[in-house]
Amino acid sequence: MTDSTKDEAYIALKNVRKSYKIGIEPIPIFSGLDLTIPRSDFVAVMGPSGSGKSTLLNMLAGIDLPDAGELRIGGNRLDRMGETARSAWRAHNMGIVFQFYNLLPMLNAAENVELPLLLKPLSARERRVRVGKVLDLVGLSGREKQYPAMMSGGQQQRIGIARAIVADPELLLCDEPTGDLDRKSADEILDMLRFLNRELGKTVVMVTHDPQAALYARRTLHLDKGSFVEENRAA
Amino acid sequence: MSSIIRQTLAMLRANLFSLPRRLAISLSMALSIALVVCVLAGFLSMAKGFEKTLTGTGSPSVAVILGGGTNQESGSDIPAGAVRVLEAMKSDIGVIRNAAGNLVSSRELVVPVEVRSNEGAGERTLALRGMEPSGPSLRDGVRLSAGRLFAPGAREIVVGARLAQEFPGFGVGDTFRLGAVDWRVAGHFSARGSAFESEIWADLDAVRSAFDRQGQVQSFRLRLVEPFALKTLQNALAKVTGTPLVAISEADLYAGQSSRTADLIRLLGWPIALLMAIGATAGALNTMMSSVSDRTIEIATVRALGFNRLPTFAATWAEATLLGAFGAVIGTAASCLAFNGWQASTVGANNARMTFELAVSGDVMLTGGLLGLAIGIVGGALPAFAATRLPLTAALRARGQ
Ligand SMILES: Nc1ncnc2c1ncn2[C@@H]1O[C@H](COP(=O)(O)OP(=O)(O)OP(=O)(O)O)[C@@H](O)[C@H]1O
Ligand SMILES: [Mg+2]
Repeated sequence: MTDSTKDEAYIALKNVRKSYKIGIEPIPIFSGLDLTIPRSDFVAVMGPSGSGKSTLLNMLAGIDLPDAGELRIGGNRLDRMGETARSAWRAHNMGIVFQFYNLLPMLNAAENVELPLLLKPLSARERRVRVGKVLDLVGLSGREKQYPAMMSGGQQQRIGIARAIVADPELLLCDEPTGDLDRKSADEILDMLRFLNRELGKTVVMVTHDPQAALYARRTLHLDKGSFVEENRAA
Repeated sequence: MSSIIRQTLAMLRANLFSLPRRLAISLSMALSIALVVCVLAGFLSMAKGFEKTLTGTGSPSVAVILGGGTNQESGSDIPAGAVRVLEAMKSDIGVIRNAAGNLVSSRELVVPVEVRSNEGAGERTLALRGMEPSGPSLRDGVRLSAGRLFAPGAREIVVGARLAQEFPGFGVGDTFRLGAVDWRVAGHFSARGSAFESEIWADLDAVRSAFDRQGQVQSFRLRLVEPFALKTLQNALAKVTGTPLVAISEADLYAGQSSRTADLIRLLGWPIALLMAIGATAGALNTMMSSVSDRTIEIATVRALGFNRLPTFAATWAEATLLGAFGAVIGTAASCLAFNGWQASTVGANNARMTFELAVSGDVMLTGGLLGLAIGIVGGALPAFAATRLPLTAALRARGQ
């Protein structure tokens, strides 16, 4: 992996175009989006429903591709990589947290968290140790054998975060990570994300509808009609 | 262990653990495969059992001479003169003679007779074979299991053990009506389960007179000094003028009959089984497609975590293969339990009924099992491919469990 660490643009989108065909008419979502996010930033992305927040996040994850323009992360042109290369890139560089946790219901907590480690050349023992560490970090040690169905939403999302960080990626992508949680659980999760950003230096991009959640970020981007209309730098 | 294998195993585990969510449809896939396996195994075991019975019947060191240009007993006719010419040959014709230098032989005649069966379900045609007193000794593996042999010239019969079991009125000492006359049951014989056991034996002259077949000979049996002596006998037969005679070994006579009928059974069975297999493959395809759609979010999730396409493919395919294997195992086990040793009967030689046991042998189980497995493999391939083509963005947009 080429590493342009010194340059401040860890993530750089240049003139990104993206549209979806609904019927025959292509509906443009982005027509020339520019965005730079430096390393170790914590960005909240807000905007009305349908404004393309998830689409942006999916592109950052290499799950979706721009129709045109540049998508560069950590010096890699994601838009020029093939499917397999992007899978491998995801496995090594990024963790993803979903609104509905997306835990595999028939795997227990430890097995869910272990999934990204299966992509790395680690022994079963090494994997167990790392799973234990992150479960401890999210405050769920001792619950290795529990199944998702037995857990509250807040606990499931903590498993989700543990799974996102277990392989120690640089980038954390969160699509409404607290959208399905009560205030208290949401704050716990947001505290955790802030900790990961401040203490461990992870770059966090978080989509949210909740202005309170956005306060945890270093800055907030408002997405509307295909571009960022306002930029807010917090403390 | 390579990362791909680890990914595949993890996905496969998740798949299999999630099977209870799809219990009904997965079971129906396995059961429809089991059904196909059963049908195929049924036909194959029938063919096998038939073959086993007939190939167990003949001996390579007994020669059967047939006349009239046929190689089957039913249409054969040997003129009395030809038999006399053979009996008069004093040179070595490859067959065993008694102390006096005469042939050890049996002239034989088979008459189809109608007999009312045990179940009362109509009549069945059985083979009544008239033979000379040395006839039973010209058959290997024949043993009297009750009573005694028929007396020369008497209206007495000995009945194959299988028939004796199946029909009432064949008890030793009973009187039984065959054709227009009554016969006394003198004994029962067993013949290691071979086709002989489906016959009734009686004295040649008694049969001839009861059925008005005076002077008729269908086959002429001799014991060869050794199996290769058949050639010597055939050369000797070539010198008999007036009628074409052929000599074949008893083993070949029955094997020839068995392969014809067994092939016919297989020819009937395979297309039926394959047609059903096509149906079962469509069912498997449907089941696996629904498995993929049931696991859409899970597949998309692990792909988003960085899993490759290949493990998604392999794990889905393996699930289909395992379900196919499961169906194949149920199918072979069920056909083993249901068919093995099952009595069946068919029109055998001489247009008479021949009873045999279905044999679910190792190769029958293997063939059936492989067909079942193939259904899983073929039916799972397309869904496995579909699993790799899931649109991730759409899948992740859907609400999780
Ligand atoms: N796969 C797709 N096919 C067609 N249209 C799509 C697809 N994905 C997204 N869209 C459309 O693109 C637009 C942006 O969708 P996106 O999910 O990015 O919005 P969002 O900002 O995340 O909305 P929400 O706040 O409701 O999650 C929407 O109008 C959506 O209908
Ligand atoms: Mg969204």
